[in-house]
Amino acid sequence: MTAVLHLRNVVKQYGDSRALDGVSLSLPDNSYISLLGPSGSGKTTLLRVIAGFEQPEAGEIRFQGARIDALPPHQRGIGFVFQNFALFPHLSVEQNIAFGLTNRAIDPVTDGEVVRRKVKDMIALVGLTGLEDRGVSQISGGQKQRVALARTLVTEPKMVLLDEPLGALDANLRTRMRSELRSIRERCGVTFLHVTGSETEALAMGDTVLVLDRARIAQQGDADTIYNRPSSPAVARFLNCYNLLPGQVSGESFVSSVGTLGLGGLRQTAANPTYAIRYDRVSIRAKDAALADGETGIDGTFIASEYTGSAVNAFFTLADGSIFEVEQHLSHAAPSTFEPQAAYRLAWKKEDALVYA
Amino acid sequence: MNANGIKLGLAFYTTLFLVFLYGPLVVLAILSFQTGPEGGPQFPIIEWSTYWYKHLFGLTPPSRIAPLPIEEGLVRSLVLAVMTMIVSTVLGVTSAQAFRTRFKGSGVVFYLIVLGMMVPGVLVGLGMALVANTLGIDRHWWGTTFVLHVVYTYPFAFLVMLAIFNRFDPSVEEAAWSLGVTPARTFRKITFPLIFPGVLSAMLFAFTLSYDEFSRTLFASGRDLTLPLAIYGTFSVEVHPNVFAFGVLTTLFSFALLGTYAVLMSLSVRRARRVLVQEDA
Amino acid sequence: MTMPHLVDDTAPAAVTLPKARAGNLWLVAPGVLWMTLFLVLPIAMMVYVSFWTQTTFKIEPTLTLQSWITFFSSDTYLGALWTTIRIWLIVLATTLLVGYPAALFVGLFVKNKTLQTVLLVLCVIPFWTSFLIRVLAWRPMLGKEGAINLILMKLGIVSQPIEVLLFSDLSVIIGMTQIYCVFMVGPIAFMLGRIDPSIIEAAQDLGAGFWRIFRTIILPLSMPGVVVGAIFVSVMVLGEFATSAALSGRKVNLLGNIIVTQVGSLKWAFAAVAGVVLTILMGAVVAVLLRVVDLRKEL
Repeated sequence: MTAVLHLRNVVKQYGDSRALDGVSLSLPDNSYISLLGPSGSGKTTLLRVIAGFEQPEAGEIRFQGARIDALPPHQRGIGFVFQNFALFPHLSVEQNIAFGLTNRAIDPVTDGEVVRRKVKDMIALVGLTGLEDRGVSQISGGQKQRVALARTLVTEPKMVLLDEPLGALDANLRTRMRSELRSIRERCGVTFLHVTGSETEALAMGDTVLVLDRARIAQQGDADTIYNRPSSPAVARFLNCYNLLPGQVSGESFVSSVGTLGLGGLRQTAANPTYAIRYDRVSIRAKDAALADGETGIDGTFIASEYTGSAVNAFFTLADGSIFEVEQHLSHAAPSTFEPQAAYRLAWKKEDALVYA
Repeated sequence: MNANGIKLGLAFYTTLFLVFLYGPLVVLAILSFQTGPEGGPQFPIIEWSTYWYKHLFGLTPPSRIAPLPIEEGLVRSLVLAVMTMIVSTVLGVTSAQAFRTRFKGSGVVFYLIVLGMMVPGVLVGLGMALVANTLGIDRHWWGTTFVLHVVYTYPFAFLVMLAIFNRFDPSVEEAAWSLGVTPARTFRKITFPLIFPGVLSAMLFAFTLSYDEFSRTLFASGRDLTLPLAIYGTFSVEVHPNVFAFGVLTTLFSFALLGTYAVLMSLSVRRARRVLVQEDA
Repeated sequence: MTMPHLVDDTAPAAVTLPKARAGNLWLVAPGVLWMTLFLVLPIAMMVYVSFWTQTTFKIEPTLTLQSWITFFSSDTYLGALWTTIRIWLIVLATTLLVGYPAALFVGLFVKNKTLQTVLLVLCVIPFWTSFLIRVLAWRPMLGKEGAINLILMKLGIVSQPIEVLLFSDLSVIIGMTQIYCVFMVGPIAFMLGRIDPSIIEAAQDLGAGFWRIFRTIILPLSMPGVVVGAIFVSVMVLGEFATSAALSGRKVNLLGNIIVTQVGSLKWAFAAVAGVVLTILMGAVVAVLLRVVDLRKEL
């Protein structure tokens, strides 16, 4: 696969703080890339630097082989979809979509017939047929999202940057738009770089997932790799499905403040030694239940559980007061009930644990 | 302490305050209907008449009271106000646009512009007259006066536009750029239509301020009088009700101007409302 | 990372940043040029000319302090300076006294936003009448046979018309107060409108009376508005000459009037001296007012 976008050591500074601290990445052509980062990690800044709305202090950006960091936004050929949609409020749906085609500096379409045909095709592609003459204030949030997308796609950019495109939609619509965004992208054959703060959204949508942490790229990989083998405790924390226990490796075990744990699974290097076990890899047993071969575990006091539909999340406090979460999928077993304030044994296979040391 | 009593007292006071603001104007309007030419600018009204309005337009038989030189003055004042309005609005919009991104020296430039509305007309007027004298330039209402009017009204236009740009969502422009549209064209096709209500307000400010301005005009214009100068000329002589009639007419003219502004504004309200809805979404 | 890389990496930023700055300069340059040529240059010229030599009908660019000496040894000019300061201080006080209660009502006591807007618009509407007409409108009000004397006599409060009403200090002060008090009302009402009503309710719950609340909460919070209003009023009153020309019958001569008459008799250098004195006075007043309240912090 060829790389369409290439960043090397991009630095963006706001006053004393670095929003981007030497970001390097390389994005494949014709694919869906999601960029995951907590708020303040610099993900929006990264998109804005790529689009040309912000100037980096240092670094190099190559798009389709050519350097673009000195080009103004309108010469870059990169589309941008805003979180608030940023539709042109004084234009109708149709005029919004036609705007780029007729007004762009390079190769504007002057033939009204061509414009109408392209806009019509695009309106059909995103499913807005019948709303052409509406003002953009007279349509719903989901429809605005489609107009924003159509307006960009009709100009046939090689790449589209989406800044939390689903952030302004309600939960229901968000799930529907996920698959829709993916299928629209496949039909157009462009690269989507989708920024989000939601780990489920990032994992569900991206062929490739980038994780941004403290102004740097922490990990890049497919969803499966990111989910099962986060490369650092920070990435594991964003994924919001790992219990993280700080401590020290000592011989063949991990000494944490809540007990000594057996080592077994993947070991990666990290500055702060951390032991990570995924919520759904843990089983809850009676306090004195014996551990099977290849298992390890700790004791925890049950506080509460939360029903999420397909699963139940149970919360325990550990000896040092920290919270430990266990996810039980209801497809595996009927929900079991636990006694509040009672102690339980939390056990898992050593090989399921991820150790950073 | 009784808060309601205080509120009532203040409401009464505010009513008196408004009487204080409007009283003289009402009296002036009443006296403009004094009979003429023998009726003076005081009570009682000898007989109600529109004599002084006719007098303004030269429709009365000649009398010892000379007609106000308003006809040419009116034309000059209107032309001057329109010129000032156009130039100061253009300057105001472009400067405010420049202030949307921080630049070195923006603080100094800001104060330089705002100084224009703070420095009294006597001072700039005097300075301008001195400059013109020294350089041997003739003073005219369309030259030296015009540039001083812009010095006065441009800061107002600038501040209005600054406030408008403060509430403007720049992502709309960025969206246009990312579609391949040049910044210049984006400004024309997207930014300008959206800030138009603000531009209208800036124009209204500039027009009315220039139309009514006289202290700068006094020093910087030559022999040709503008409308306010014609009125100023009556200060030193006996006042007749024709000046009052004229005051009523200019006030009506101002209200007509305000009405036009209101209509133009409400036409763009629909657009403004669309912006609001989008921001809410 | 190696050094050549670093140099290479910073290159694009170095190219693009001046471009952004140049765009700004290009946009703001016409305005700056205009203000420099037609505002800064005339004021500088005024300062310069105040040191020129004044002969009977013209001025010569021979530098001298003569005009300054004449100004400060003349009772007329010093009197005008003193009158200007006196009228300014009185009008500042009257606009504040007359305007503050109205601002208090509009900004704090009127809870209904529509009514608030209507009241503020009512205050502004007179501005759409010519300034000179508004000044002149006081003549039929204050004159010997004016509306006020008429009413007072009808009510039997006075038996003789009060003559001091017109063509006196009083008429100038009344006229200026009416014309400029709105500049006090606006900023004060704005600041009062920003006071969180729950603060006042909390104080009432604690049993504080109105005067105590006024002294400890309302007055301090409205101070920035008072200062802004005072700056507006000061700048305008100090540069005035029309109101005194129309309403004082040449009895009140402000520095502005001095400038007008000196220009009328082609005494340009004297006019320039008066102008510079006025400029210094005004600059000092604004500087002092800005010292009282740090506007940047408050607004």
